Amino acid sequence: MNRRVLLVGLGISLPLLAFLGFAFRHDPQIVESPLVGKPAPNFRLADLDGNIVDLAELRGQPVIVNFWATYCVPCLYEHPLLMEGARRWQGEIHFLGVIFQDDPETIAQFNADYGSWGPSLVDEGGRVAIAYGVYGPPETFFIDRDGVIVEKAIGQVWPDQLLDVANRMLAQPAAATG
Amino acid sequence: MTSALGQGFVLLGLIAAGFGTAFGYIAGVRRSAAGLRLTRRLALLFAVAMVGACAVMWYALLSHDFSVSYVAQVGSTATPLHITIFSLWSSLEGSILFWGLILGLYIAAAAVFQRRGHEDYLAYTLATLLGIGTFFTFLIASVADPFAPTPPPVPVDGPGPNPLLQNHLLMAIHPPMLYLGYVGMSVPFAMAVAALLRGQLGATWLRPMRRWLLVPTSFLTAGIMLGGWWSYEVLGWGGYWAWDPVENASFLPWLTGIAALHSGIVQQRRGTLKAWTVILIMITFLLTILGTFLTRSGVVNSVHSFTQSPIGPVFLGFLGLCAAAVVVLLALRIDTLVSEPSNERLVSREGAFLLNNLLFVSLMFTVLVGTLYPIVAESLRGVKVSVGEPYFNRMAVPLFAGLLLLMGVGPALPWGGSDPKLVRRALVRPLPAAAVGLVVALLLGARSAPVLIVSAFAGFALWVTADQGLRPVRVRPRRQGGRSPLAAVLVAPDKLGAYVVHLGVLITFVAVAVSSTFQREAESTLRAGDTLRLGAYEMTFHGAERVQEPHLIRHQAEVEVITNGRSRGVLYPSLNIYPNQREPIGTPAVRTSVGHDLYLTLMNVGGDGSIGLRAITTPLVAWIWIGVVVMVLGTALCLIPTAAERRATTPRAVPDLAASPAGGGR
Repeated sequence: MNRRVLLVGLGISLPLLAFLGFAFRHDPQIVESPLVGKPAPNFRLADLDGNIVDLAELRGQPVIVNFWATYCVPCLYEHPLLMEGARRWQGEIHFLGVIFQDDPETIAQFNADYGSWGPSLVDEGGRVAIAYGVYGPPETFFIDRDGVIVEKAIGQVWPDQLLDVANRMLAQPAAATG
Repeated sequence: MTSALGQGFVLLGLIAAGFGTAFGYIAGVRRSAAGLRLTRRLALLFAVAMVGACAVMWYALLSHDFSVSYVAQVGSTATPLHITIFSLWSSLEGSILFWGLILGLYIAAAAVFQRRGHEDYLAYTLATLLGIGTFFTFLIASVADPFAPTPPPVPVDGPGPNPLLQNHLLMAIHPPMLYLGYVGMSVPFAMAVAALLRGQLGATWLRPMRRWLLVPTSFLTAGIMLGGWWSYEVLGWGGYWAWDPVENASFLPWLTGIAALHSGIVQQRRGTLKAWTVILIMITFLLTILGTFLTRSGVVNSVHSFTQSPIGPVFLGFLGLCAAAVVVLLALRIDTLVSEPSNERLVSREGAFLLNNLLFVSLMFTVLVGTLYPIVAESLRGVKVSVGEPYFNRMAVPLFAGLLLLMGVGPALPWGGSDPKLVRRALVRPLPAAAVGLVVALLLGARSAPVLIVSAFAGFALWVTADQGLRPVRVRPRRQGGRSPLAAVLVAPDKLGAYVVHLGVLITFVAVAVSSTFQREAESTLRAGDTLRLGAYEMTFHGAERVQEPHLIRHQAEVEVITNGRSRGVLYPSLNIYPNQREPIGTPAVRTSVGHDLYLTLMNVGGDGSIGLRAITTPLVAWIWIGVVVMVLGTALCLIPTAAERRATTPRAVPDLAASPAGGGR
């Protein structure tokens, strides 16, 4: 046993591995959204049938805003979960989908084939996506009864997260809306 | 159906690799010929399984089978055929599958080509390679499964691969070249492991090991160059190297691989540096795994990094396992590799090789520290930092200059370096060439000290390279009675090859130094009819048009290039808009000539028909790529067997009792 080799080898590789292991704590590509904890930017958008949805009018009930597109695979993965969520919290939480750079006709066809969990809102020129700082679909914003963004999900929403945030938002007293 | 077939092949590969690893080590310990035969069959089965899995994936991609999740992720009916073929390696899961394919091919090659004469080593080698194969097939079968069925609803169309990868044909060859380099390092690594386990590293095993190291190093060289070229042709910033973490990741094993190639020469000639060569080869392999981890895990920020995924922790585990195995194996067995006694002088060929190794390893550490510093800083101080080009340039350029000097001094020095008079003469003779280098640089307008020093070193090295490289041609015919130059070269093609590689390095070195020092640029907003001037160039903008293609919209500007009042042709820099990407992606237009490149980038297209145009002239860029081609050609020469090797392999076909040492002792 050559101890010198052992010590030098471990001396270099162990700290290196420790630092690399530490690096998983942060994803360098995720920039903390400055929007969390702030009032959600308001929007007034038409869905595919031309019905207007105004975020401000939904104050008093929690809202989940999901930016999505049919070409985005994680969006497909989370589709059944959002369907289930919209069914479970019907009348309690509003589910709004904002189309992210996709063709309204393609979206309509998709909704006809696989069902929809909420209105598909047409975001002309991506103004709302820009206001929310969306980098790419899917991104999901959880807005509480007071219109404050309490959490943001980048990428696919997972069942645990949806359940946890939804319950937190529902537990918040309705009176706070004043 | 397709999913199941693909997963079946991967499972088959996993089983073959797992059993092959176990049988191989057992066969190695017991020196069992039957065990080795079985291991070789499992190695070939692993290769077949990997080829099968990739064939299934290609079939799924080409038939737009969106029920396979990887196809749903990167496929699109609008994507042209050739891009669909390359999309196998355009995203995380597919690229790991492709990795498995290359590993399979390397393993098959090792099993076939190292068949004779090395039975004791081969069982350990194949076992180690299949151990690596076990990890990768496990990865493909579990956390990075490209064959996972898409959950319903199965989409009717997909987004297509990342637009940056669709934008240029170089993307078709840059990743495979890099993978051939990365994965190929497993073979010399496995051979070094075998040498340690056998406790013996003689010339018969060293030669093939060096050769198996030469192949991936050459692919890595080509891969790194193609990456730089792609970056230059596609990214639109006019440069080719940015010390991006992933570029660095490919650079690290290249540095130690080259160091090992050089220390292997000393070992071949003098029987020394055995343990050191083995250590360098092992570090090289570990660095390829580290590089893959950095790229695939998303722990560093880069144009290349894939998003964070469960692959990261698994890969880190594998890296830890490999590092632990290497350290323990080295500690236990390194003392069995006894070098022959030596009393070297520093001013000798051997001394130069040692210094060369020292510089390469220092460079590796410099780059490693710069690449990982952001991670370290974040863990220790909780701050986000990035290490930019100034650090790398300041640290690496002097080391590179040192290597350039050594490239001239080293080959000029005699082995052993015993006679000071001989040493002095060897070092004085190239000095006029150094002076010529200096004068040429001064005449071309260089005034900064680093550029002048590099030019003098380059002149020195060029003279020595030519002198040494042509030596067999000059010396042989006289001594051996009129052999043709070709026959003289074929006695030891690796000698000439080595100096051809050095020539390529010199070309690239000078081209990098000049192109990074003398770049000029101009930028302006132009309306139709306006002209932008840069040096001798006048660039007149004639108008922009919008072209609709199936998978993208292209805004293309027509720019006429004029010098000395004569039109030199029209360039079309463009901005491409892909449906799944918010930012448009530029495609620069490049006019390449022997002396310099004119590089036009479209910065933006205004609603009123105006454009933002940026023009860059960079001298000698083309010579960077030419130098690398010369390096690769030189490597090819090195791979031709020498006359001694050809003689050695021919009689081995017959039972080699007479050739063996035992036979000689009768």
